[in-house]
Amino acid sequence: MNRAIEADLLLNYNTDMSVLERQRAHLKYLNPGFDSPLAGFFSDSSMINGGVIDGFLGTDGLNLPMIYGDTTVEGDPRLSISPETMIGTGNFKKRKFDTETKDCDGKKKKIMMMNREDEVEEEEDEKSKLTEQNNGSTRSIKKMKNKAKKEENSYSSDSSKVTIQKTDYIHVRARRGQATDSHSIAERVRREKISERMKFLQDLVPGCDKITGKAGMLDEIINYVQSLQRQIEFLSMKLAVVNPRPDFDMDDIFAKEVASSTPMTVVPSPEMVNSGYSHEMVNSGYSNEMVSSGYLHFNPMQQVDTTSSDPLSSCFNNGQAPSMWDSHVQNLYGSLGV
Amino acid sequence: MASADKTINTDVPEKDVFAIHFLQSLSNLRIQNLFNSPDTTNYRVRKIKKAAYVSMARAAGGTSRLWSRALLRRAAKGNNKIVRFPRRKRKVTWKISSKRRRSDQRAPVVEDAAERLRNLVPGGGGMETSKLMEETAHYIKCLSMQVKVMQCLVDGLSPK
Repeated sequence: MNRAIEADLLLNYNTDMSVLERQRAHLKYLNPGFDSPLAGFFSDSSMINGGVIDGFLGTDGLNLPMIYGDTTVEGDPRLSISPETMIGTGNFKKRKFDTETKDCDGKKKKIMMMNREDEVEEEEDEKSKLTEQNNGSTRSIKKMKNKAKKEENSYSSDSSKVTIQKTDYIHVRARRGQATDSHSIAERVRREKISERMKFLQDLVPGCDKITGKAGMLDEIINYVQSLQRQIEFLSMKLAVVNPRPDFDMDDIFAKEVASSTPMTVVPSPEMVNSGYSHEMVNSGYSNEMVSSGYLHFNPMQQVDTTSSDPLSSCFNNGQAPSMWDSHVQNLYGSLGV
Repeated sequence: MASADKTINTDVPEKDVFAIHFLQSLSNLRIQNLFNSPDTTNYRVRKIKKAAYVSMARAAGGTSRLWSRALLRRAAKGNNKIVRFPRRKRKVTWKISSKRRRSDQRAPVVEDAAERLRNLVPGGGGMETSKLMEETAHYIKCLSMQVKVMQCLVDGLSPK
């Protein structure tokens, strides 16, 4: 019932309707016998704002109670708009959730805003128009329906019930004392993302913890990537220089392979090895064995040089999967002869 | 370490995955009879280097990472037999991020460093800065893994 009347009221709004008129309409709705002279009490915009720092939210603290007309009454001394200014209404409606937010400090207004979104969604447009009127700055509606960036537990349990937004933007709450421009909010989100990733990179790159500041760290990261790439080039040069091993014996390699290949029951086609770069094989766990055994079948001519490949296998092993790995490693190394 | 972070996933396979891929690629190179009589060492070096990068990209997850995908694409341009690059069924558009036009305004210190990073990391040209840094992290991990593998190989194969 209440909401029907509210909806009617709001439908009659024009954007160019002054705040004063709107407030008068609200007051009339709330108190049918309300005298208009007192409405003049609210005509001054400074009064409306109530002199809060966060002007955006402060006005909401004034206007919204009149729109939504919650019936619970609680003392909320922290609101900058003292109840005396709401003489006309006589019933400054507090939100039910105020008790829950008693412990939170400067975020009360935001929290009130948040929970109000729970109740009334269709009046967001009006809400935004009001605030725009009051503050003269444009803010997207979505920014108003925001999740708080810092949440207390009690509050977060409430916010989890916030109804699903129509869009799937990532919503950001403007922090207290910061600009609430939509661009600056997006900018801030982006900057925080970047700094979060930079912290992650800082752990990766050795020797980066001493350096503070984005520029230095980024330089360090770039240097590290360059040095890694140069290292790869250098090592590939070294590999190209290493001479192939001369001894080849077919029987020996088959004997070795048969002895260790008991779990390898799959006989892959040689094609699999040649096109061994097929993406599917990468992910399967047993593909390693498959590939190496297939490789062996395909290239019977190469030899396993056990003595020289032992250090190789040990260096690759590092205590993982000993026996199976050894045979594969040996086979592959022997066949390399790079 | 990476798996502790919920939002950024930079898990990299174990060393043996990289090792196997690299060894396969090297043996593949050998099949091509490169090492019997190459004209110059430079040719071999370049081939080995390319094989190292391609095998690293495959070991790191093939086409599921932006940088590895770009790397494989770059490698598969010339040769159609050696490097296979599977095309995705649905078309993936790699548009240059339009936000880069404005990126100079946003924290120019970060942005020209990001520009340099884009030149280094494959596929960086189409990424936003935050995505670029994710890819860089994964790329660094894979690079270091590949370096370890190659170092082991060189140590093992070099004459005592």
